[in-house]
Amino acid sequence: METLKTLGRELLERAKVLFEFWKIIVSTAESVLFRFNLGRKATLDVLLKQVYFTAFEALPIISWIALIIGLIIVTQALSILPRLGGEGLIGEILVWVLIRELGPVFASVIVIARSGTAMASELGLMKSSNEVSALEVMGIDPMHYLVAPRVLGTMISVFVLTFYFEAISILGGYLLAGFGKNIAFSVFVDSIMQAMGFVEVSVSLLKSLLFGLIIGTVSSYYGLRVKRSITEIPQATTKAVMGSLRLVFVTDAVITILFFI
Amino acid sequence: MGTIVDIKSVSCYNEAGRPLFEDATLSFSGGERVLIIAPVASGKSVLIRMLAGLSMPDKGTVRVFGEDIASLTKEGLNKLREKMGFVFHDSVLISNLKVIENVALPLIYHRTALSYEDAMREAARLLDGTGFRGDLWGLPGMLPLYAKKEIALARALVLKPVIVVCENLWDGLTDTEKTGLSSLLLQYHESNPGSLLVFTALSDADAPHVRPHRVIRIECSMISEEIRA
Repeated sequence: METLKTLGRELLERAKVLFEFWKIIVSTAESVLFRFNLGRKATLDVLLKQVYFTAFEALPIISWIALIIGLIIVTQALSILPRLGGEGLIGEILVWVLIRELGPVFASVIVIARSGTAMASELGLMKSSNEVSALEVMGIDPMHYLVAPRVLGTMISVFVLTFYFEAISILGGYLLAGFGKNIAFSVFVDSIMQAMGFVEVSVSLLKSLLFGLIIGTVSSYYGLRVKRSITEIPQATTKAVMGSLRLVFVTDAVITILFFI
Repeated sequence: MGTIVDIKSVSCYNEAGRPLFEDATLSFSGGERVLIIAPVASGKSVLIRMLAGLSMPDKGTVRVFGEDIASLTKEGLNKLREKMGFVFHDSVLISNLKVIENVALPLIYHRTALSYEDAMREAARLLDGTGFRGDLWGLPGMLPLYAKKEIALARALVLKPVIVVCENLWDGLTDTEKTGLSSLLLQYHESNPGSLLVFTALSDADAPHVRPHRVIRIECSMISEEIRA
């Protein structure tokens, strides 16, 4: 009985947190769709800074990881496929692995590690040092000025980084591993293009936008949940990372099941 | 001039349920300079937070510009706050914005018709008026208390508010610094005769700096009033 009670309490707590995430998403949608003119220069500035930090400054690390992942997958594929007589499947394998799955997931994991943590700790610090209240007394809605541009900026960034990751890992994989195996570049590209359909691109796009929405929302929520103590900030950051990872992987699984089963 | 702030039968209690003040009735009018004197943890911060709409009274009503703050929507409250400027005790500045951006932020956010350059020019002018001599494009984190107060004061005045509230403005400042900030506020009051200046302090030692028309004391949950001019 006690176990059931504990389980019930835990579920209720989770449901409450999910509802808080939902409120942030609705507030962001309202800001973007209906209140975009309110403080537009100030909020645009926050949005551009977020995209610069999350997408542009992540390009070097994304490039390295994409090249290495591309190298590993192309090397593995080229070592196994000839033995199975499936050399022609290289395109399909790259599309299945990189575009359907690894692109959005890796871009998200990197964004969580770099920007999700930064967002949660920055907002946490702003909350604990009364900066959020200072904005409120200036008549500036923190949800509109602080949260909405961060969530939108993270969505745009994960979207851009996903496609960048996919392009670099496929091309880089070929350059690093495929080049020495006498596969002509045109044959390699043809094989990719044939395997890539509308569904693959759309699902990748959908995943990247949803993952960005999740990371921005979860990180903002845990950041703003900090009260007065500075010691709450590292805890909020850890929760933001764990919460984002959990939701990104669950959403990934759900979308994959919905589209590819 | 007409009443701008009307506090009627307001009671406020702390977290332990102890009354900070009970059944308080006060009103402030345009053109006034009011000094609220109270010891630490006696409720003056709560009173100021109520004016800003950050706290609500446990009983009674607080009306600012005729609007009951408890019944306002978020948008209504934000509109009201545009007419008010606050300098809080800790002079909180936005840590990820440069000094000049901190001052210009309310202008950039609320006056969308104003160009970015004009907002920056106005912010620089106000900072110059406070006597700020630091780096306008530096981050405010490591600045001394006085510089932070100068920036917070410039930011509070940037929208030309009708109500200016300064919480413990003189704490931790030298006499010269106190005179500097106070004379800027007096100047603002002279050039905006309909404005209301509200100061809070722990004692009336610094009262001469702003020559208040009224002094309000909060002691042992009781509010008493003294007319000075």
